[in-house]
Amino acid sequence: MAGRTLQRYLHSLTLAAPLATFRVAFGLLVLASVVRFWAKGWIAELYLQPKFFFSYYGFGWVRPLGPYTYALFAVCGLCALLVALGYWYRAAIAGLFLSFTYIELMDKSTYLNHYYFVSLVALLLMVLPAGRYFSLDARLNPARWRNEVPRWAVDALRLLMGIVYCYAGLAKLNSDWLVHAMPLRIWLPAKNDLPLIGPLLGQLWVAYAFSWFGALYDLTVPFFLLNRRTRPWAYVTVVVFHVLTAVLFPIGMFPYVMMVAALIFFPADWHERLLQRLRRLLRLAPATDQVPVPLVYGPATRQLLLLGLGAFFVVQLLLPFRYLLYPHELFWTEEGYRFSWRVMLMEKMGQVQFKVVDSQTKRAQLVNNYEHLSVLQEKMMSTQPDMMVQFAHYLRDYYARRGVHSPQVYADAYVSLNGRLGKSFIDPTVDLARITDDLRPKPWILPFDDEITGL
Amino acid sequence: MNKTLLLACALLLAVLGIISCGKDPNGGGTPGPDLAVDRKALLTQWADSLVKPGYQRFNDKLVALKAKTTAFTAAPTPATLVEARQAWQAAYVEWQKVELYEFGPAEQVSLRNHFNIYPADAAGINANITRVTYDFEVATAIPQQGFPALDYLLNGIASGDAAIAQQYASSAGHRRYLTDVVAKMEQTFGTVYSQWNGSYRDTFVGNTGTDASSSLSRVINAYSLYFERYLRAGKVGIPAGTMSGVPRPEKIEAYYIKGSLPLQLATTAHTTVQQFFNGRAGQPSLKSYLNALGAKDSRTNQPLADIINAQLGVSYLQLSSLGPDLYTTVTARNADAVASYNEMQKAVRMIKVDMTSALGITVTYVDNDGD
Repeated sequence: MAGRTLQRYLHSLTLAAPLATFRVAFGLLVLASVVRFWAKGWIAELYLQPKFFFSYYGFGWVRPLGPYTYALFAVCGLCALLVALGYWYRAAIAGLFLSFTYIELMDKSTYLNHYYFVSLVALLLMVLPAGRYFSLDARLNPARWRNEVPRWAVDALRLLMGIVYCYAGLAKLNSDWLVHAMPLRIWLPAKNDLPLIGPLLGQLWVAYAFSWFGALYDLTVPFFLLNRRTRPWAYVTVVVFHVLTAVLFPIGMFPYVMMVAALIFFPADWHERLLQRLRRLLRLAPATDQVPVPLVYGPATRQLLLLGLGAFFVVQLLLPFRYLLYPHELFWTEEGYRFSWRVMLMEKMGQVQFKVVDSQTKRAQLVNNYEHLSVLQEKMMSTQPDMMVQFAHYLRDYYARRGVHSPQVYADAYVSLNGRLGKSFIDPTVDLARITDDLRPKPWILPFDDEITGL
Repeated sequence: MNKTLLLACALLLAVLGIISCGKDPNGGGTPGPDLAVDRKALLTQWADSLVKPGYQRFNDKLVALKAKTTAFTAAPTPATLVEARQAWQAAYVEWQKVELYEFGPAEQVSLRNHFNIYPADAAGINANITRVTYDFEVATAIPQQGFPALDYLLNGIASGDAAIAQQYASSAGHRRYLTDVVAKMEQTFGTVYSQWNGSYRDTFVGNTGTDASSSLSRVINAYSLYFERYLRAGKVGIPAGTMSGVPRPEKIEAYYIKGSLPLQLATTAHTTVQQFFNGRAGQPSLKSYLNALGAKDSRTNQPLADIINAQLGVSYLQLSSLGPDLYTTVTARNADAVASYNEMQKAVRMIKVDMTSALGITVTYVDNDGD
């Protein structure tokens, strides 16, 4: 019975319009992102000037390309534009996924959840039939034109959105967020000079209201967006919520990405009307003969696609819970923190002083981090143990080249988390030069000496 | 289906809330942030009661320095030399009370680079003295000007006041260089001073945000950088050898005069750092701002401002124990100097980490979705 329902669902069709609008909007947003990044001079600041880069585990070979890094961004922007136009779609979206992901993997100090989201969406779009409708490809080669696609192709994007929201909500179900209104009670008063809402932001109850509403919003908004009757109101809250976060926090393009991506929850005919309006605006020929031309996959292709999507979503559902494999407080150790939709959860700051010791002469010298790292890199490293190990290895090699005999590297780190007075973060007697950089629990992270309950 | 899920979520939230509220004895009773969190008032206080009056007092000393060095170059004798040196000392001490204001106009002209980067480059200074022209704006000229250069010119150029005065009497190059160094200081500081007395004061007070370009963020950045790099490391750490492993007494501030002045400069700087934190009684300050935010150690409920003040007190005591002569102390009692560095380091961390975090200010311009 359930099997037959599933089969019927997997064979049902929907209009191709939602995929087409999503493709156009996504392409344009990524293009805007690239242009903004370039215009702010961040390519040079983040990828050309630093002498050292924090690579991801297993991706040490992904490095900035020197001056060619600009070309990489240009390729990424060009692919994004082609995706929006639907021209050479498969190649363009593959190029977008590869170039964008490569950029993100170059240095983990620039990690942002919405960059990860963009990579995932690009990966999904590589296999979804988003280039068959309202695209240059279909216009130039009408044989490829399809106005109906399998329903699961649209639902895959909705499911990814749902996971992002729900997991972001689950991550807020902890005592710091709900009971202490941390970190919003620190961040909101810092914005009390804003017009209109400013005076409110200094009030403690507002921090609590924001915390609880934020958690409730993240957990429920996908369901309200799915429901026909609640959808318009839900979308209004999407806009209000994300505009508010854009005003309050320096999170760049994230609010806009989410506002636009959430449109995928609107019904297919809404998207069709939107495209009609767009055609008129662009003076394109209106689509008149809307005879259904469904996209039908061969059984093997279809099987492969569905299996692939299934595997993708299983990974997505499990990956954020990998922190359970580590023994200590997630917010403190950050073991398993990234790639889990944990957004704006911590006010965490630190300072770390590295000491390099010559193992023969025992002579010790202290390191000025700023001589090696950018402001952003130093800020990110000072609260994240895996980055400290990477930097220690860099220092080991750097000082070895300058004549220090098998250098030992020690770090004295001090970290404060969500309003707790800072404390020693890692064991200052552990020689980080000899610690391997891997995914195992790090026993040299000192205890948190407090408890954050919840998920 | 949807309703059930919603209900489940709402219930879950409510239950979690109730459970955790029960465990938290002071969750409801804490006095929250209030209207005293007023950055405009704080910035106004800093501008009108600290920076501008501080710069005015320093300007007076700089004017006196110029008068005395002019008198000395006009008639180089041991007596005029002693007067010039006294004016230099007075100005150097006063400088310690304004060096931390390296934001806004001072940051723009790199005031510190023109005033107090040491050790002085004696060889470079000597070379300049024989040259016809030199440019104080190039990077290599940084340690050839300002107070450290004057230290060398007034104390280190020969041994004994008579010999020094004689050197100036006999060499036009020396007289000219001394005059030029003081003139450059007067000119550089003049642009900063006049901007604060002009439109910059309102720009500063009006930029009340907390992003990376806001006045508060710039001030805190300058303040903690000064404490960490120029007081902790520059005045004590580097001479004591904490950075390099070997004591380097020749790297102390006011090296050529030695005696009690180097420590006096350091303690004056430290006092300035603590006074900047506390402000005047009843007036807005970092302390009152942190207290208004309700910033405290959530483990012990101790106010953060008190914790910082206690550490600054300990750190000051340790620093002032390094007398009477910092130059000999960094080698003879190196452990004490290192201990002083360590106590300052503890205070630096509280200011750089705990205070900055509590203030909610941003330190980089790059996007960040929550650490």
